[in-house]
Amino acid sequence: MLKKPDITDSSGDKYKYGFITDIKSESLPKGLNEDIIKLISRKKLEPEWLLGKRLEAFEFWKKMSEPTWAKLCYDKIDYQDLYYYSAPIQKAKPKSLDEVDPKLLQTYEKLGIPLKEQEILSGVVAVDAVFDSVSVATTYRAKLKEQGIIFCSISEAVQEYPELVQKYLGSVVPYTDNFFACLNSAVFTDGSFVYIPKGVKCPMELSTYFRINAKNTGQFERTLIIADEDSYVSYLEGCTAPQRDENQLHAAIVEIVVLKNAEVKYSTVQNWYPGDKDGKGGVYNFVTKRAACRGENAKISWTQVETGSAITWKYPSCILQGDNSSGEFYSVAITNNRQQADTGTKMIHIGKNTKSKIISKGISAGHSNQTYRGLVKIMPKADNARNYSQCDSLLIGKTCGSHTIPYIENSNKNAILEHEATTSKISDDQLFYCRQRGIDETDAIGLIVNGFCKQVLQHLPLEFAIEASKLINISLEGSVG
Amino acid sequence: MSISEQHTVLNPILETLRQKGNSSFAKQGLPTSKNESFKYTKFRELNLDNFVFAKQEHKCCCNEHKLGFDAYEIVFCNGKLCHNHCSGLDKIEVLPLIDAIKDKTSQKYLNKSFDMDNFPFAALNNAYLEQGLFIRVAKDYVSDKPLALVYHLVANEKYFCNIHNVVVLENNAQLDLVEYYYHAGDIKAEYFNNVVNEFFISKNATLNHYKVQNDAFKAFHIALNVANVKQNGRYDSFCLQKGALLARNETVVKLLEEKAQTEVNGAYVINGWATADTSTYIEHLHSETYSNQLVKGVVGDYAKGVFQGKIYIAPDTAKINGYQLHKALLLSDDAVVNVKPELEIFADDVKCSHGSTCGEIDKEQMFYLRSRGISEQNAKQILITAFINELFNKISNPNIISWLKSF
Repeated sequence: MLKKPDITDSSGDKYKYGFITDIKSESLPKGLNEDIIKLISRKKLEPEWLLGKRLEAFEFWKKMSEPTWAKLCYDKIDYQDLYYYSAPIQKAKPKSLDEVDPKLLQTYEKLGIPLKEQEILSGVVAVDAVFDSVSVATTYRAKLKEQGIIFCSISEAVQEYPELVQKYLGSVVPYTDNFFACLNSAVFTDGSFVYIPKGVKCPMELSTYFRINAKNTGQFERTLIIADEDSYVSYLEGCTAPQRDENQLHAAIVEIVVLKNAEVKYSTVQNWYPGDKDGKGGVYNFVTKRAACRGENAKISWTQVETGSAITWKYPSCILQGDNSSGEFYSVAITNNRQQADTGTKMIHIGKNTKSKIISKGISAGHSNQTYRGLVKIMPKADNARNYSQCDSLLIGKTCGSHTIPYIENSNKNAILEHEATTSKISDDQLFYCRQRGIDETDAIGLIVNGFCKQVLQHLPLEFAIEASKLINISLEGSVG
Repeated sequence: MSISEQHTVLNPILETLRQKGNSSFAKQGLPTSKNESFKYTKFRELNLDNFVFAKQEHKCCCNEHKLGFDAYEIVFCNGKLCHNHCSGLDKIEVLPLIDAIKDKTSQKYLNKSFDMDNFPFAALNNAYLEQGLFIRVAKDYVSDKPLALVYHLVANEKYFCNIHNVVVLENNAQLDLVEYYYHAGDIKAEYFNNVVNEFFISKNATLNHYKVQNDAFKAFHIALNVANVKQNGRYDSFCLQKGALLARNETVVKLLEEKAQTEVNGAYVINGWATADTSTYIEHLHSETYSNQLVKGVVGDYAKGVFQGKIYIAPDTAKINGYQLHKALLLSDDAVVNVKPELEIFADDVKCSHGSTCGEIDKEQMFYLRSRGISEQNAKQILITAFINELFNKISNPNIISWLKSF
């Protein structure tokens, strides 16, 4: 039985992560130019080659124009009116968690992410905490290191494992890919780096928790995950931001390389501040996520629960290069009030016997608009490729919109592709069934929506699944009646 | 552009229309893949400068019937109206469009159902507006025979056949309209059919539109059909695309009032280097409207099938059902099928779905037939025929079914 979301006391203010941490931080001046990029690079003590890459990307970015094809409507972003680097001031680089500013630790505690290892439930999750532009702490590093697993911030990885970073960074998402990826390639500040060596099954869930705190700051983080042959890792990502009246920009890149027989499971619960009920404030979330299955039998699975952000522009994709490799995409996207989401996936089948599966559930309520946009592409050499896609949308209220735009491109006769999509409202029969059994309307809708999303939620790790199911109820609060 | 040489006329209304079309087309140009609605259909091989208008009317063979069934036939030859077997019908008014423009009969309808700035080929069509018909079926009249428009090419020149028809059904009228495009000369003839049909279906009226496109394999065929359906009206269409190097059949249906309904079905059976594009756009602009689409494709050799279907549901509407299904069979290693089924929904009390499947002939079905001693070639043929025949279940006129099956 579902618990009624305890949000009744919050006087309509449902975003419980909306607080601001009062912490001294240092920022580089507003605006974007070569000097800022050089400064970011110098601050992070980066080698020449990386600065070169950043500048190359910036040159290219200047020539690009912002994409307009998505069904999103927002004021033009002034890229010169943003801070591209903001970091909490810390005396020296903290050697252990004890040296991390207690305010930061408190922030994460308040968010439900304890960073002190002894407090973490029997050590099931290792966390990399990213605060504005920098990673403040990474837990369980030593324990993971014993097995050869590298889990650290990408800035550290650049220093300590330059050969790995240089080999893989930008190999899945080159800077020429799209406008936001190019911007990120020029100005990315931090993010997580994961390397799972050959034959290792990562013993715990790895996780990154992103927090935007400073005002008018763009967060540009970059995550790189490399799963070497026969390895396995499950990776979680969470994000929140304070409640501000201005829009904040978040343009991230996640790159995943999966080699022979390896498997990566990537789960996201995205809960950036969605803006208030009139659409004021909220995070603009422009994310490029892509995984390349480079070896045979490689497997990647994306699971996402998208409840936050004023604007979501996100298409986690799978490049199925290796024979027999498989890609999965499970998504629940919920938009309420004035939120807009244009999200979906891309499955590019290159190798033989590649398989992909797309399950997308969209729920729109209030005045929100939501689009599923997906691509399934079968290349001529991808014999026996198989795809199954299902995109269901649920509409709550008369003023919301839900759109489905799948692209299916097949150049191989042996491929079998199926796509189905439905759009409807919660049926009166279902509602009546619940109501006559004494369940009140809000709970009944929560129950039905959770059932609608179950196919996706069951792919989340347990703690996340409970959290996500609560989040769904909260996000829809006030949309009925 | 050499096709601009033509025409003697002029009438100020016509002149304005042409100018408007001309400037609109000049603004848009030939669509590229950047144009979302032409994403998968490329016009690299289409060079407008190559085409010319037929100089004189060709009157050789138009007295014989082209179809295997009884119908009121109107024949266009090389893109020019050639024989009208329907003049003198009292309940169905058939006028050359140019006359209807001159005496302003068509003024209420012509170009009223779409904005040519969004349809480059319709703009081109207007720029060279001359050929075509204005057809009006009188109130309460139920046509006893189908009305057939036969377009055939007998010459081998690179003709540009630019045709614009306006069909108006008054209240309670019913009509079966058949369109048949084919080629009777050298099969290598290159020509360009650019057709715009506008349908205005009034209260309680029903229009069944059947089209067969069997153009020569180097020809281009672009057609835009726009149907406006009023209260309790119905527009049902079936389009078979079989020939041409590049064919596009675009159907836009506007369900304007309650209980307006439409079934837009189609099939493409192509091989060689052909591209067949079936695009649909169903606009549910009022509550209690219904649409259904079923499109099937069979693609062999190096051919490319394209299906783009869109269902739009306007805000503040309710009780709408919109369904869409596309199925394609690929017969060869180099065949390509690109599909984009879209739903764009701005109201909650709706039931919409789309589905799309794509694959080769089922191996088990094949095995079943082969194990009963049927040759591979025949078995394949049986399965393809069965695949396509499903579409004919929805057609009520048996003459038309057997005519369609003959292709």
